[in-house]
Amino acid sequence: MEFRIRKGYDLRLDGEARREVRPLATVRYCVAPSDFRWLTPKLLVQAGSAVEVGTPLFCSKADERVAVVSPVKGTVREVVRGERRSVETIVIEAFPSDPFRKHLDFDEPTTSDEVAGLLLSNGLWPMLRQRPFSVVPSPDSRPKSLFVSCFDSAPLAPDYGFLLQGREAEFREGVRRLHQLLGESCPIHLCMRSGAENACFEAAENVGFHCFKGPHPAGNVGTQIHRIDPIDKGETVWYIHAQDVAAIGRFFLTKTLSFERTVAVTGPCTQAPCYYTMVYGADITPLLEKQTTGAEVRRISGNILTGKQLAANPSVRFYDSQVTLLPEGGEREFIGWLLPGFRKWSLSHTFTAWLFRRKTFSHNTSLQGGRRTFVMTDIYEKVFPFEILPMQLLKACLTEDFEQMEELGIYEVDDEDFALCEVVCPSKMECQKIIREGLYKLYKT
Amino acid sequence: MSTLSKWSEKIGRSFEKGRPLHCLHSLFDAVDTFLLTPSEVTKEGSHIRDAVDMKRIMITVMIALMPALLFGMWNLGYQHFLSTGVDAGFWGCFWYGFLKWLPLVIVTYISGLSIEVAFAQWRGHQVEEGFFVTGFIIPLIMPPDVPLWIVAVATAFSVVFAKEVFGGTGYNFLNPALVARAFVFFAYPSVISGDSVWIAESADAVSGATPLALVMNGNMAQMPSFLDMFVGTIPGCIGETSKIAILLGAAVLLFTQVASWRIMLSVLVGGFVTGSLFHTAGVCPVNGWQHLLMGGFLFGAVFMATDPVTATHTQSGKFIYGLLIGILAIVIRVINKGYPEGMMLAILLMNIFAPLIDYCVVKVKVKKRKLNISKHRIKL
Repeated sequence: MEFRIRKGYDLRLDGEARREVRPLATVRYCVAPSDFRWLTPKLLVQAGSAVEVGTPLFCSKADERVAVVSPVKGTVREVVRGERRSVETIVIEAFPSDPFRKHLDFDEPTTSDEVAGLLLSNGLWPMLRQRPFSVVPSPDSRPKSLFVSCFDSAPLAPDYGFLLQGREAEFREGVRRLHQLLGESCPIHLCMRSGAENACFEAAENVGFHCFKGPHPAGNVGTQIHRIDPIDKGETVWYIHAQDVAAIGRFFLTKTLSFERTVAVTGPCTQAPCYYTMVYGADITPLLEKQTTGAEVRRISGNILTGKQLAANPSVRFYDSQVTLLPEGGEREFIGWLLPGFRKWSLSHTFTAWLFRRKTFSHNTSLQGGRRTFVMTDIYEKVFPFEILPMQLLKACLTEDFEQMEELGIYEVDDEDFALCEVVCPSKMECQKIIREGLYKLYKT
Repeated sequence: MSTLSKWSEKIGRSFEKGRPLHCLHSLFDAVDTFLLTPSEVTKEGSHIRDAVDMKRIMITVMIALMPALLFGMWNLGYQHFLSTGVDAGFWGCFWYGFLKWLPLVIVTYISGLSIEVAFAQWRGHQVEEGFFVTGFIIPLIMPPDVPLWIVAVATAFSVVFAKEVFGGTGYNFLNPALVARAFVFFAYPSVISGDSVWIAESADAVSGATPLALVMNGNMAQMPSFLDMFVGTIPGCIGETSKIAILLGAAVLLFTQVASWRIMLSVLVGGFVTGSLFHTAGVCPVNGWQHLLMGGFLFGAVFMATDPVTATHTQSGKFIYGLLIGILAIVIRVINKGYPEGMMLAILLMNIFAPLIDYCVVKVKVKKRKLNISKHRIKL
């Protein structure tokens, strides 16, 4: 079935990754518990501990079965702690001879519980996430359906079709195992971009195929859930990235545990944008040094809409498969609000760039205005493809009106769904933060 | 630019917390961001942002008001010299109008901005841009001969009681410019009556009946032609006479997507349909489209009803809101002969009802969502 998304926007930026894959191997690996939303970690290793691929580093305090494991064989060099001794990063130094994989011996699982047990004990379970809240699901729960987004529509996003080229069998096996995990009653939905290379996904069995057409956020799993199987209070839907499905497939097919993945290095400040294969957690400092052009550059794990700024110990986050290098802004312009703005990008038509149909813009990280209260209406609706009132929902979150939040459909959205609203907001509202905090308050109650 | 920004950074330090000039930081911030765009960068969430901000939106509205203002200035002089029989030429007329407008706008801005800055300072906020447009509109909708002290009092009243007591721009539920006009109308009825209009300045000021008053009293013979009303060469407030200039402004607002087409369209439809109904029923000699050209109807529809804060915030609510403004404005005009200009009161009344309309629209949306989800469940 084809779904057409009309509301949204495709931001155009220079620095799309060329279809070329390079290997990246480093010695330092950094695993951060903050990659897993609202997971309180219980540390299982300490500085000096020897770890192997698959050794649990920390587990969730709420459910100790949910553990995050070491992606490499080596020694824990350091546990970096932040405010109130919270664990920020676990730094591991890999052995130079480490092949980044570990062969395992296990019997072919025949039941759902056996699949779940293998995923949990080998640190593959956190690849699954649950809507609402985008948290790692509890091993005891089962969703009403599972979504796999087979494309990413965010700016400069990697092409999943290219990433999984030649890995059809792994992907098919991954889907088969997830089907085994969830049972017959839970449908799996594969959402693809219509007109793209989808051969590797179409090999999957026992799934529903859906095609999406239109601008970002067509590739966001939230948009897809909203169109195919909307969530009401008390219901849960799980989702997983296509690359992670292939990783689960590889695990069952080859009985080898490996956290290798392909990451696109993109953005206007990238010397040679292309793909890199690396193990999850790889310290990308040498890569960034080699690839960055320009003096003041913001390094982001993820895309420019939802990514996280990289600071010390830069590594790609658990759920990201993209790094973006963007020029920092902050230059002050003389009466900028009055000038015609031939080179300014705006979804509104208040700058002349729109009049001259300018297509390319040099984006940077400037806020481009002062923070104000909600004044303009009708702006979010242009980029928000949900049957939800975005401004009313934001206001309900700000006023902590839980009943109104639930009625308006907060369980269907996540902060990433509000990313474009945040971009176009003339009052410079932090829409994603407001939604995330709103969701957190509901999660805690 | 770096020299200016360095200079501003240097001066700005004196306004930081704990420094002697901290009590004026809002004023400094207003001047600083007026001259130079802010240097703030994004921290989390979306790393890039749209170039549009509130200042840009407000300047766009002011650009849209320019045709009406420029024509209004010329027309003020033209009407004056027409009645006194002096041929002053184009620039003479314009200069006369400019001199009439200038004190009004200066008094409005001084009175309003000083209160705005004081409130921003008190709350520790930045000065909001909303008053730039409000202060620009107030002189356009006041009678040109209104005493300056009344303008100052009316502006102060509207800024304090229609906006700041509720929390400032974005929290007000009444359009401040219209509150200022309504204040003058109710507090000083001798200045602004709605049925007589100021024309010229002389030993004893000349005034005549407005077209609306003429119609309502059945005096159709003395009415100016509809072409004159469309072009705007009739006596009236500075901003509202020329419908061509207002339509130019509407074009700017719609092309830049600053104002809502939903509201503009539905106000016009509401006014036209109600006007036509009254005309067909024989209550009013003026038909639907003629109503749209008379008085402040068009100015209200384009610049006042579309105020995003005081209008409804939901898309379907905007149609209901606009339609009711159009209907009410004509109903007040036709039924209430004592006060022929109904646009101001219609918009203010609907400002009050806008949250109720939104409430109903949200409830309907919530119900629809629930229905949609249960439909999906049946399908699956």
